[in-house]
Amino acid sequence: MEQLFAFLFKYRPLLFQEGELALAAPWPRTTAAAVALVVAAVALSTYTLARGRTRRTDRVVLATLRMLTFAVVGLMLLRPVLVISTVQPQRNFVGVLVDDTRSMTVPGEDGATRADWVRAALTGEASDVFERLGERFALRFYRFSDATTRLADPADLTFAGRRTELGEALTRASEDLAGVPLSGLVVLSDGADNSGRPLAEPLRTLQAAGVPVYTVGVGEAVLSPDVQVTRVEMPRTVLEGTSLLVDVVISQHGFAGRTLPLVVEDAGQLVAREEVTAGEDGEPVVARVRFEAAEAGPRLLEFRVPVQDGERLTRNNMREVLLDVRDRREKILYFEGEPRWEVKFLRRAVADDENLQVVVLQRTAANKFLRLDVDDADELAAGFPRTREELFAYRALVLGSVEASFFTNDQLDMIADFVSERGGGLIVLGGRHAYAQGGYAGTPLEDVLPVFLDDESGAPGPYFERFRVEATRAGRLHPVTRLADDAEASAERWASLPEVSAVNPITRLKPGAVALLVGRPERAGPRPIVLAQHRYGRGRVLALPIQDTWTWQMHADVPVDDLTHETFWRQTLRWLLDGVPDAVTASVERERVEPGESLTLRAAVADSAYEEVNDARVTAAVVDPAGDTTLVRLDWTVDEDGVYEGRFTPPEVGLFEIDVTATREGRPLGSDRSYVHAVVSDEEYFDAAMRPASLRRIAEETGGRFYTPADVHQLPEDLALTGAGVTLTEERDLWDMPVLLLLLLALIGAEWAYRRARGLV
Amino acid sequence: MRATGTLSAVAALTLLWGSSAGPAPATVRVPERPHGHFFAGPVERPTLTPPGARAPEPPPEFYFTRAAYTSWRRGWGTQNWAIDYPKADRIFLSFIARLLPNIDAYDEEHPVLLDDPDLRRFPFLYAVEVGYMDLTPEEREGLRGYLEAGGFLVVDDFWGSREWANFEYQMSRVLPDRPIVDLPLDHPVFSSFYEIDEILQVPNVGQGRAGGPTYEQDGYVPVVRGIHDENGRLMVLINWNTDLGDAWEWADDPFYPLRYSTYAYQLGVNMIVYAMSH
Repeated sequence: MEQLFAFLFKYRPLLFQEGELALAAPWPRTTAAAVALVVAAVALSTYTLARGRTRRTDRVVLATLRMLTFAVVGLMLLRPVLVISTVQPQRNFVGVLVDDTRSMTVPGEDGATRADWVRAALTGEASDVFERLGERFALRFYRFSDATTRLADPADLTFAGRRTELGEALTRASEDLAGVPLSGLVVLSDGADNSGRPLAEPLRTLQAAGVPVYTVGVGEAVLSPDVQVTRVEMPRTVLEGTSLLVDVVISQHGFAGRTLPLVVEDAGQLVAREEVTAGEDGEPVVARVRFEAAEAGPRLLEFRVPVQDGERLTRNNMREVLLDVRDRREKILYFEGEPRWEVKFLRRAVADDENLQVVVLQRTAANKFLRLDVDDADELAAGFPRTREELFAYRALVLGSVEASFFTNDQLDMIADFVSERGGGLIVLGGRHAYAQGGYAGTPLEDVLPVFLDDESGAPGPYFERFRVEATRAGRLHPVTRLADDAEASAERWASLPEVSAVNPITRLKPGAVALLVGRPERAGPRPIVLAQHRYGRGRVLALPIQDTWTWQMHADVPVDDLTHETFWRQTLRWLLDGVPDAVTASVERERVEPGESLTLRAAVADSAYEEVNDARVTAAVVDPAGDTTLVRLDWTVDEDGVYEGRFTPPEVGLFEIDVTATREGRPLGSDRSYVHAVVSDEEYFDAAMRPASLRRIAEETGGRFYTPADVHQLPEDLALTGAGVTLTEERDLWDMPVLLLLLLALIGAEWAYRRARGLV
Repeated sequence: MRATGTLSAVAALTLLWGSSAGPAPATVRVPERPHGHFFAGPVERPTLTPPGARAPEPPPEFYFTRAAYTSWRRGWGTQNWAIDYPKADRIFLSFIARLLPNIDAYDEEHPVLLDDPDLRRFPFLYAVEVGYMDLTPEEREGLRGYLEAGGFLVVDDFWGSREWANFEYQMSRVLPDRPIVDLPLDHPVFSSFYEIDEILQVPNVGQGRAGGPTYEQDGYVPVVRGIHDENGRLMVLINWNTDLGDAWEWADDPFYPLRYSTYAYQLGVNMIVYAMSH
C-alpha cells in the first residue's frame, strides 16, 4: 500500500505527514488566476454557443470534463511543492542504542541469533542502513542492559547483559546527548524490558524534549514451539506447616491442548506434581499446585515443566522461588464475652498447630475473665488490652460475642488501628452480642468490617435462622475455605456440612469485599453471608456472622475423625496471620541478583505501638554462604517515615541471609530476617519473543517509527525528516507526480469516450 | 438421694471388690464385669420425650443435659439416671444464672438418651448413679462418638468400690484404651472460675441434714478423676464418693450445711466454664 502511494504521489506518506504543501509558481497568483479565468471563459463559451446534434446534457458533461482538465493543467503550472525540513548533513547527532542482553542470543528459526543480525547490521554486512545514517548524521553508539555505556566498536558487544532496562537506557542516552543537536534515538532490541519499572516516565521526558525514538525490533514475535513457566504466585514467608496453594502461570506456543507436567522440587526432592492442560497457543493457563511448607528455613523451590520435544528455548522452563518458612508461634488473641462452645472447639481445632498460640480472654462474669494460654501471669491480667502496645503484641484478633459498650472508645479505635495501621488480622464471629445486635453500628469497628450491619430482610423481631452453607465461586479454592484440591470437591464438602445458625442478619457486602461462604436457607430473599473478607488498611478482616461452627465438629452427621472443622480454623487463623508485619520488617529490592550486582536492603522500623521510628540505629548482618558475616548499616531514607536503606553487593553465588536489627537509645526495637539468592540470572530468557507492541508504543509516543529488519532501510530517510536538530528547508516538486498525469489522461480519455458513445466525434 | 441402711452389707462386699477401690491406675486395665447387684432389679430402658421437640428458638448456648441411660432397677420407682431429677437440675440452673450471669443457659431440665443422635448438639453431659449403669451397645456407641467428637461428661453421685467397679467396667467398654486417672488439685478445672483447694465429700441430703457421716458404702475418700483422649484433653470428669447433685438440690434447705452446697456450686460452675473452654 505504501509502495503504491509512493508510486502515485512520488514520495512516501511520511513525507506528506512531515511536510507542508505549497505552490511555487514563478508568476504572481493574481496573473495566474486572470489567465485561468480567461481560458475557462473561452472554453465555456465555446461549449455554450456550439450547436448541432448535441443535447444540453452532452454540453454540460463535456464542459465539465474540459474544465477539470484545465484545472489539472493549471495546478501543474502553479508548481505545487512539498516543503519539508530536513537535517543538515553531519550537523546532527543520532544515538544508536543496542540491546546487549542475553535474550539477544536467542536463535531464530534459521539458527542465526538476534545478536548476529545486529552485528551484521552495524558492520554493514546485513544492511547499509547505518552507513547511510552515517552519511547524514553523526552517530553515537550505546549498548544497554542493566547499565548503559558508550559503545566504541560493535565488536565490544557481548550480549551477556543480565537485565534489560530500556527506559533507563533511553534516559541515559538522551542525557548524554543533551548538549548536541539531536535528531533522534535508534533502538535495536527485542523489546523485552524486565526492569520492572514503567516506561511511561522516560517516554514523557523524551516527548517533552522532542526526541523521536526509532525502534528496530529484532527477532521473532512468536517463539514456537516453546513452553514457559511465566509466573509463580507465592507468598515470600509462611509459617511452618502451612498448606500452600500456589498459582503457576504457564505460557506456551505449539502445545495447544497438550497435557504438560509441572513439578515442584525443593533441593532436588519432589514436593508436588501436577498435570496442566495447555490452552490455545499464546494463551497462558494457571496451574494450581498444593504442597505443605514442611521444613523451616529458607527454601529454594523449583517450579519446572520438563523440556518438551522440539522446544526452541529450554531455559524458560523453570522458575526458582525463594520461600522463607518460619517456625515460630504466632500469637492470636481471642476475646469472648461469654461462656461459649466456640471457645472450646476453636482451641481444640488448632491445638495441634504448634505455630499458632491462641490466647483466650473470656469474660465469664462481670469483670471476671478466664485467661488461657497466656505467656505469664501479667498477660491480660486487667482484661482486654488498654494500650496499643499491649494489643499490638498480638498478630490477629478473634472477636466473639461481646457488646460494643464493653469497650471504651479508645479501645474501639485501637481495634480499628490494629487492623489498619498495625496490619493485624481480625475475625469477628456472630453471636447475640456481636454485629448490630452488640451495638456496633456507628462504632469504628463498623467501618472495619467487610459487611454492612443493617438487615435487608426486613423481618420483624429477633432474627434467628438455621441454614446449610455453600462456598461461593471465590470461596471454593480460597486459602481459608478450601477443603479439597479441586473446586468441585471443595464445594461439595461445604454443601454436605450440617446446618449452622445465626442471630445476626448480615446480607450485604461492602464494596471490595468478597463473600467466601453464604447460607442456603429454605426461604426466598437475600442470602445470609457466612464468611466474607476484605482488606482494611494494612490488615485483613473476616466476618463470620454465624455462632456455632462447632457443629461442624460435633454434629452426629460428621464422622468423629473428620477434620473439616480443624482444617477450616487452622486455615482461617493462618490466613489472618499471613503477611502481618513485625515492628521491624526486613526486605530486599530483589530476591535474586547476580553476583557482583548491587542490591538495596530495606527495613521498615516501628516501635511497639507501630509508630514509625526515624531515629533508630539499624544494622543488617549479612551472612554469606560460608557463614561469614558482613555488617551493613541502614540509614533512614528521609522521604519515607520509618524506612531505612543500605546497599550490599553479593560477591559470589549463593544464598545470603540478612538479619536486620533495630535499636533506639540502646533499647532493641526488633529484628527480622530476609534472604537474597545470588545466582546467574535466567531472567532474559523469559518472555524472550520480540515484543512489537512495546517497541511500537515507544516509537509512537515519541514521534518515531517502528521497523523490523525487513523495512529498516527506510530509517535514514525518515530520520532526516524528523525536524529535530539543525535543519534546513527543502522544496520538493509535486507537479510531476504520476497521479496528475494519470488524472489528465483519464479526463481526456473520458471526454473522448463520451463523444464516441454519443456519436459526437 | 440414697438410703444409707445398706452400709454394713456393702462394707462386707468391699472385700470382694477391694482391688478396684484404690487410687486410679495409670495404665489401662480391663475390668471384669461385676456380678450384678444383690439389691438390683432387672435392666430398664429410660423413656423420654426427644429433646428436639422442646428446644426453644433461638436455642440457648448451654444446656445442662442429663444423660438418660439403661440401668438396673433398684425398686423405688425412679430410674437411676433420674435420681434428684428434675429438682436438682432446676435449682442448679437457677443458681448458675446468678453465678455465671453471662452464660446463655436453658433454665429447665434437659435429659437426652445416650443413643440419640441429637446428643451431639449438647457438648455438656451430666450423669448420676453410674454404679448401676448397664449400657446397651447403642448407648456405648453413642457415648463413645459423643466423647470422641468433643463432648464432656460429668459423673456424680456414686459410691464405694462396688459401684466404682461397675462404672469402670462400663467405661472400659465405651473407651477401651483410655485409663482413668486422678485429677490433681492444680488441674485447671479447679481454678477455671473459683479457686478450689480442697476436694470435699458432699453427703446426701439425709446425712447432711443429720450431721452424720458423709460417706456411703465404703466410699470414705472423695476423689475427682478423669479420662483423657489421646491428645490429653479431658473428656470425662468423675466425682466419686460424693454427691454434688444433692448439694445443688438442697442448697435452699436451711438444715443442709452451706459449705457442701458452696463447694458443689463452685465445682459445678468450674466444670461448666472448663468444659466450655477446654
